[in-house]
Amino acid sequence: MTCTLGEVKNRADFIIYWGGNPAECHPRHFTKYTIMQKGKFVPNRKARTMVLVDIRETPSAKASDIFLQITPGKDFEVITTLRALVKGQRVNLDLVAETGLTIEQLQDLVDRMKKARFGVLFFGMGLSMTRGKHMNSAAVLALAAEMNAFTKFVAMPMRGHGNVTGADVVLRYTTGYPFGINMCRGYPRFNPGEFSTVDLLVRGDNDAALILGADPGATMPQPGIDHLARIPTIVLDPKVTHTSRLSRVHITTAATGISAPGTVYRMDEIPLPLRPPLKSPYPSDEEVIRRIHQAVAKRPGWRPTLNGKAMR
Amino acid sequence: MAGKRYIMNAGRTTKQGQQINVGKDHAEYQAIVGTLNMHPDDMKEAGIVSGGTVRVRSDNGEATFLCKEGKIPRGMIFVPYGPPTCRLMGQTTDGTGMPTSKGWEVEVEPIAAE
Repeated sequence: MTCTLGEVKNRADFIIYWGGNPAECHPRHFTKYTIMQKGKFVPNRKARTMVLVDIRETPSAKASDIFLQITPGKDFEVITTLRALVKGQRVNLDLVAETGLTIEQLQDLVDRMKKARFGVLFFGMGLSMTRGKHMNSAAVLALAAEMNAFTKFVAMPMRGHGNVTGADVVLRYTTGYPFGINMCRGYPRFNPGEFSTVDLLVRGDNDAALILGADPGATMPQPGIDHLARIPTIVLDPKVTHTSRLSRVHITTAATGISAPGTVYRMDEIPLPLRPPLKSPYPSDEEVIRRIHQAVAKRPGWRPTLNGKAMR
Repeated sequence: MAGKRYIMNAGRTTKQGQQINVGKDHAEYQAIVGTLNMHPDDMKEAGIVSGGTVRVRSDNGEATFLCKEGKIPRGMIFVPYGPPTCRLMGQTTDGTGMPTSKGWEVEVEPIAAE
């Protein structure tokens, strides 16, 4: 139940940002795709309504028509109430009061959503990385799906950082799964919580790490960072990062999009080719990985042994 | 933890994002990720002066920050993501692969200037 950002730009007349702060974290989102763009069927800013749902008044609130400040950790309850109101079901007013909003505010939001010609709900880390996590995301997707009984409505995650969407997309079309994949048996197995990076590192399950274009040394829980310092860690990055400092090997690579070509996936999963304007003395990530792969392929294959004899 | 608990909301800011690309070794980056914002009334209640140093404790660890007033709801703390927040962050992912990066309960206490 999603669409491209081009459709949002040309058609969306009702835009909700939930648990995100695009004014600071996606500074081009307003101007390139949503409220500040002249779309084919939405000629100006007045033709669009923007609602911001968050637990604090961020700089994005200034750009919104309606700001709904909810109690921290009550996202799931608010979404579930909205789903009930969309279907005309009764809701418990005492539980609604705990969300920090009134039933009138929620009913007004539902009425506006139903009147929209094309609604879009962008949800950020304030929804997916707080209490409820994937259940919050699932509830938002269900709300968007149910809204299609009344009007066109879609939902899209506000992906952050460079090309995280690309990592998901490529892993999906190569293995069938987006992340948390174990290839130890020669075929992909998917189990978030068991094979996902944070869990592996915090438990100390892995005995080596190759870090590509990321800085877990500055972003992950401390026990995971401590484990990276204990094991042989190799980092590929254009800059020296916190992870570089705790790694055994840092390989400087060219910056993709600036001095190395490649493909980046936009948050709506549209692939965009990159043409680097500069040349770099450093190899690209792809070249380094290819050379490591070739070197590893020359070594004899590993076979499990039992009592000193190779197993068949 | 026995004292008053606040909800710690770690997030991103424009300046933090810019400094990530400038370099995480710069003093400006260290200052950004080492400064938290609280409601002025909460600071007064906890005996914290603006610009003072505070110790923040969660169930997982502790870190020190500079504390400044901000447009934050009462009972909440906002701090940009960075190495200090790694020490406070939840260490389990509840089977999702994603650690709880927002909404931790923490204690805050002022550290007397030496």
